[in-house]
Amino acid sequence: MIPHLISIAPFAHADFWLGVGIVAGIYSIFTLGLQLNVGFTGIVNLGQAGFMAIGAYAMAILILTYGWSPWLALPAATLIAMLAGVIVAMPAVRLRGDYLAIATIAAAEIVQSVAQNAISLTGGNNGLLGFDAAWQTIQVWLLGALSSIGLGDMDQIPLFAVTWITFAVLLAILVTLQRTPWGRVLRAIREDEDAAEALGKNTYAYKVQSLALAAGIGAIAGYLLALNITLIYPGTYSADFTFIGFAILVLGGLGSYSGVALGSVLLWFVLEGARFVDLPLSADKVAALRLLIVGLVLILVMALRPQGILGKREEMVLRG
Amino acid sequence: MRPPRHPPYLLMLTTESSLEPTPSETAGLGLSTGARGLALLGGVAVVVLILIAVKGYQPAAQATANGLVAGTYFALGAVGLALVFGVLRLVNFAHGDFLTFGAYAALLANAFFRLPIIVATAIAIVATALLGAILELAIWRPMRARRAGGLQLLLIAIGLAYVIRNGIQIAAGAEPRSLHVDVTSAVSFMGGIRLGTTELTVVLIGLVVLVLVAIMLSVSRLGKEMRALADNVSLAEVAGVDTGRVIISTWLVAGGLAGLAGVLVAAAVGVLTPQFGFQLLLSLFAATVLGGIGNAYGALAGGLLLGLTQEWSTLFIDPRWKLAVGFAILILTLLIRPNGLLGRPALK
Amino acid sequence: MADDRAAKHELAPADPIFAVRDLVKGFGGLRAVDGATFEVSRGSITALIGPNGAGKTTLFNLATGFIKPDRGAIEFEGQSVFGRPPHAVARRGMGRTFQITKALAAMTVLDNMMLAAPDQPAERLLGLLTHPLSWRRQERSIRERSMELLERFRLASLANSYAGTLSGGQRKLLEFARLLMAKPRMVLLDEPLAGVNPVLGQQILAHVHELRSEEGITFLFIEHDMEVVMNNADRVIVMAFGRVIASGLPSEVRRDQRVIDAYLGAHAEDVA
Repeated sequence: MIPHLISIAPFAHADFWLGVGIVAGIYSIFTLGLQLNVGFTGIVNLGQAGFMAIGAYAMAILILTYGWSPWLALPAATLIAMLAGVIVAMPAVRLRGDYLAIATIAAAEIVQSVAQNAISLTGGNNGLLGFDAAWQTIQVWLLGALSSIGLGDMDQIPLFAVTWITFAVLLAILVTLQRTPWGRVLRAIREDEDAAEALGKNTYAYKVQSLALAAGIGAIAGYLLALNITLIYPGTYSADFTFIGFAILVLGGLGSYSGVALGSVLLWFVLEGARFVDLPLSADKVAALRLLIVGLVLILVMALRPQGILGKREEMVLRG
Repeated sequence: MRPPRHPPYLLMLTTESSLEPTPSETAGLGLSTGARGLALLGGVAVVVLILIAVKGYQPAAQATANGLVAGTYFALGAVGLALVFGVLRLVNFAHGDFLTFGAYAALLANAFFRLPIIVATAIAIVATALLGAILELAIWRPMRARRAGGLQLLLIAIGLAYVIRNGIQIAAGAEPRSLHVDVTSAVSFMGGIRLGTTELTVVLIGLVVLVLVAIMLSVSRLGKEMRALADNVSLAEVAGVDTGRVIISTWLVAGGLAGLAGVLVAAAVGVLTPQFGFQLLLSLFAATVLGGIGNAYGALAGGLLLGLTQEWSTLFIDPRWKLAVGFAILILTLLIRPNGLLGRPALK
Repeated sequence: MADDRAAKHELAPADPIFAVRDLVKGFGGLRAVDGATFEVSRGSITALIGPNGAGKTTLFNLATGFIKPDRGAIEFEGQSVFGRPPHAVARRGMGRTFQITKALAAMTVLDNMMLAAPDQPAERLLGLLTHPLSWRRQERSIRERSMELLERFRLASLANSYAGTLSGGQRKLLEFARLLMAKPRMVLLDEPLAGVNPVLGQQILAHVHELRSEEGITFLFIEHDMEVVMNNADRVIVMAFGRVIASGLPSEVRRDQRVIDAYLGAHAEDVA
């Protein structure tokens, strides 16, 4: 694969990869939530993009319609997303695995439907703009600081840094949580709910908590996504997003939080690196090709190496 | 005995809790199904009469006819889903894209090669049936041999959905396409109900096929074997059922039904994009869940009911909320009676 | 024999720690439990026997909350547990094992044990926030208790092995040791000797008797081997077709004609 780089200046090139890094970071955060649900609690959350949308829209609506300060809107929107997680979880988590997955899909579809049709609230398919005024100010300041060390042109650096620092913080929190007795109960539930119940653990409550936390994490990914494209509209928070998240999840390895970053970076470098290859295909076919590749990744990993790259083999080999 | 090499919790998804009882809950299916079927027919008839009284004959009858059209393709898709789940415990997330595959096969035959619609429909059925069988041999059978867990299978199904759908998009492009049929030709009957000629043709084929499938399931040896496997795999094997053959047959039937459904959607809706099958998937789930997942008769009834309810709703609310009616049914069913009308338990 | 032990150890004759009255559970058209009534005396070792399909495991599942009864009464230590979820029943003091051992295979033996310790505030998110430092201290004491119990069951050397690497017999012991972490007052054992070699089986039974003597734990166990029942149970409850058809001392029950009739073929010959 020989990149056609002849006409692209080195700086633009680096900026491009920073952009890829931002997307990879956003997906990493998103998939941390999936890991908590699927990898550590054993529940299949196919509606994560819906929670991401709730977070982003709530944030923007609080800022734009109600004039809230972003410093208040962000935590509030996160709480709203978590509340949505609880509301979805309460009935869904009682259902058997396949039904739970379908229920989460339905929840996400409802969110999509509302985002598209409740035009006065969400702007419909035109979306919401202007919620990122505070961020723009911060970004200008940061770029000013960067230019003092000669990097003022790399305008992707601030968001890149914020994204990956956020990921690191969330990663640390989740890894710590996992090592607590709470995390231990979660692992037991993942493995055998009946055994956990027989030992006095209220598995229902834990599963609801898991989904609520993942919803909050999804919301955070949603804010960063919104800042990245400076627009919030329904198409971004689609089932495709969740699908790519799952591919990242299994690629990095079920049961490994740090694997999420690895999977995301790998997948996005492959997907975006393919841009440099000139294909005789129209734009929508290229888009289809990318999704087809992701689908193949999902199939191949699950078929050939279900623990992914960093999944724990001991926790895969054994079954009671 | 070497333990299997995959995440233990991957097995959790569709494995029934060891605490579920073994006595078959579908025992006595024949009688209760028939009785409930008649009750449903009665209910539908009552609703139609009420609608005629409230909204007038033509609108009510037209909506009912449209509902039957939609219901037929929902039912065709849902029965396939139910058969696959019943026999294999697999939720085929790629099923919507089977419909797309069938529709585009028909498109290729009809719009590109200019073959008559009947031939194109036959091609669609055969092609999609083969797709199902090929995937079974290439993917599902080897995965089962490796004792793959529920989560693995689910994600593979989702991956397949994306591969099929986007493969079609690469081959045929994303722009909307139509069958090469005379869209203006329509048939008028029963005092003012209008349906497109092609639409009517394919619906009739669909309804006939549904009846044939229902008969096949209850009377034929294959049907009985499918139902035996759906009840209890180990018991069926002990009883001498050739599970491999039955499974392939299940995929052939499910695929064929899905292909036919896809053609029907093409005929009824008029224009298609490669996304349509996936967009229908949630409605197919709604129909299957309504009928009771794993129960083919229930899926048939669920599909028809869903189609009817969606079209009837347009008499009262803006048609763009039609799909939302499907979601509402899905959610209500999951909340109130997850077993659906006729299915196995969904709660832990 | 067992009858003498019964006379010595029933701490308070007819002091029922567990009682079931007219319990009914149906599935579809089938009544798995069809009006079962019996009591288990505190401190006793009681066997629940009956032909296959009699409803014994269903009864266990009803008793421990894994299945919701249709109607009837279930009481543990005088309080109703009808319809209570499994974790609530476990917390009231009833432990159980499963027919197919549920050792959490992808967790270590020690993790299995520590998981089972009751009253851990750090198992709740709120608890973690309010006890940010003290939970580690509690973990240490839980670890000590776990190792003590593992010593008692001679599993201590396997503490850091994944439970899935244990042999079938070792997993049975683990499941047993684990449920004791919660200090239950009654333990339901679902076929504790199934698939276990006779030597290990005797060890398990010895533990049962020790725990009953030393800690007064009541045991109710499902068993198919009549000799084991005769030699170990103070009382026997016999189920068939979802009902209790006989109960009493082992010697009485094995002479009961209804019991003999309920069993088909080989079992009847064993009992007679």
